[in-house]
Amino acid sequence: MLRIDVSERPRWKTLAHELGFHFHTIDGEPYWKEDAYYQFTLEQVERDIEAPTEELHEMCLELVDRVCHSNALMQRLALPEFMWDTIHDSWKAGQPHLYGRMDFAYDGSGPAKLLELNYDTPTSLYEAGFFQWVWLEQAIEQGLIVRHADQYNSIQERLIAALAHIGQRLPEATLHFACIKDNLEERATVHYLQDMAVQAGLKAPFIHMEEIGCRADCDYFVDLDDRPIKALFKLYPWEVMADDAFGEAVPQHTTHWFEPPWKAILSNKGILPLLWEHFEGHPNLLPAFFEEKTPTPLAPGWVRKPFFSREGSNVELMTPAGEREAVDGPYIDSPWIRQAYHPMPRFGARHALIGSWVVGDRACGMGVREDVGRITKDSSCFVPHAIV
Amino acid sequence: MSTPDNTPHLPRRKRSARLSLAMMGASAFGLSACGQPEQTTDVSFDSPRSYQSVDECVAANVYTQSACEDAYASSLEQVPRYTSIEQCEAEHGEGACVAPTEEQAQMATGGSGGSWFMPALMGYMVGNMMSRTSRGATSQGLYQEPVYRNRQNQGNWNAATNQASQRISQRQQTMRNQATQNRQATSQRSGFGSRSSARGGWGS
Repeated sequence: MLRIDVSERPRWKTLAHELGFHFHTIDGEPYWKEDAYYQFTLEQVERDIEAPTEELHEMCLELVDRVCHSNALMQRLALPEFMWDTIHDSWKAGQPHLYGRMDFAYDGSGPAKLLELNYDTPTSLYEAGFFQWVWLEQAIEQGLIVRHADQYNSIQERLIAALAHIGQRLPEATLHFACIKDNLEERATVHYLQDMAVQAGLKAPFIHMEEIGCRADCDYFVDLDDRPIKALFKLYPWEVMADDAFGEAVPQHTTHWFEPPWKAILSNKGILPLLWEHFEGHPNLLPAFFEEKTPTPLAPGWVRKPFFSREGSNVELMTPAGEREAVDGPYIDSPWIRQAYHPMPRFGARHALIGSWVVGDRACGMGVREDVGRITKDSSCFVPHAIV
Repeated sequence: MSTPDNTPHLPRRKRSARLSLAMMGASAFGLSACGQPEQTTDVSFDSPRSYQSVDECVAANVYTQSACEDAYASSLEQVPRYTSIEQCEAEHGEGACVAPTEEQAQMATGGSGGSWFMPALMGYMVGNMMSRTSRGATSQGLYQEPVYRNRQNQGNWNAATNQASQRISQRQQTMRNQATQNRQATSQRSGFGSRSSARGGWGS
């Protein structure tokens, strides 16, 4: 694993705008960067990222099954009691999921270490699945990178296949897509998924989360014309939905959700101590524990994360040398976990994090994010990768 | 991977050969892999379908028998094989594995079969991939793959959906009758998404 400097494609920003990538720069700071790429060998990708991702995915689904059959574990994960049956039923009915991303600390040698799962509302999908792919094709074409360079990336192809598979089982082959208002990046991610759905032969109407309606006389949530929403992809987390005004109405409605309710188990950082409990010593896992009710101060070599948190918020870490780093945030209500600290590789001043994608049940690609800090945040840059 | 690669002299690739966007951006965008830099390729996946068996595929009358068989054989080739049922079950769960039927063995190996075990195939997908290049050339290829692994104790989601929709349609009939009397039923909104997040979004 190397970080290689490379020339940018001339006019890539124009291309980005033409292709709907309007958030390549966020608040004046670059988000997409192509003045460098991360280089991997095929063996590193297949042995150290792809294979462990599939294995961990299977382990996670095994745990979903355990949690679904145990009220004690549901409770331990702080899942609201009114959702337990819905979560259990969605799993038992075999409701399919669409996608997820695992974040790994990996420096090119030794086992990649799972830092966390983003299995409910993962983003950076368009960048990883599409724009990164276009970058490589054009970089080859323009002679910026060797012709035999490759990339671990069939994300988009897999998304289309999975959506086609799902679409045939949905009434009228229709899947609604939703995210909240006024977030450019999330709207773009959902727009991309709508694009995939259309290419897979589905009808893919959009609605904002805030616009979704609830009627006393309808078994489904409804759209703005009061027509039933039979299936909905939501870029909106289960734990927040459950707390919303319509949350307790979810179990009474027949609307099919993507991700399905059982994903609430895996988007919860409490899954990390459960993984460690059941697969202790697995080379891709870091020791992780539920925090005690009266927590001790964070010891060197440990990281503290809330059950529910996004983009690094409220994460606190203490390096073995005792350097403390923390990101503020609003997620203070949920319980916490402690996870052993594992350094991310450093290239110059930047720490790199691997996001490994699962679509359907298959590992199918990755993206690299980098940050000057040790905690990856929403502002961390996306840098393309190549296999050489 | 599953998509036929039209450049067989190149080594196996970890990335898709072609991608396109249907609706994002200024216009539909299609780009072909290197080797054909002077033309653009727009790829459409023509309503891929999934089938439980070759018979079901043939009966659907969308693809020819040989297309159904080819796709099935290719899907079978992608299913992992194990020398013992114990090994297979260790990976895929108890009861999730089967020995291939003689027909499956033949399709997967092209030979007279062999003895191995594999996770039971839940179904497979067949799609027609059409590519149109800017030079007017059109090519077609079938693509196929197993999408989800078979899982033990899982319900038939498809059937569950059907059941639910039958139940719903009955109820909706009742609802319609009621609706004539009560057209004033109103929808509540803003029940989702009213809380603000740390950075105005919920992706991760």
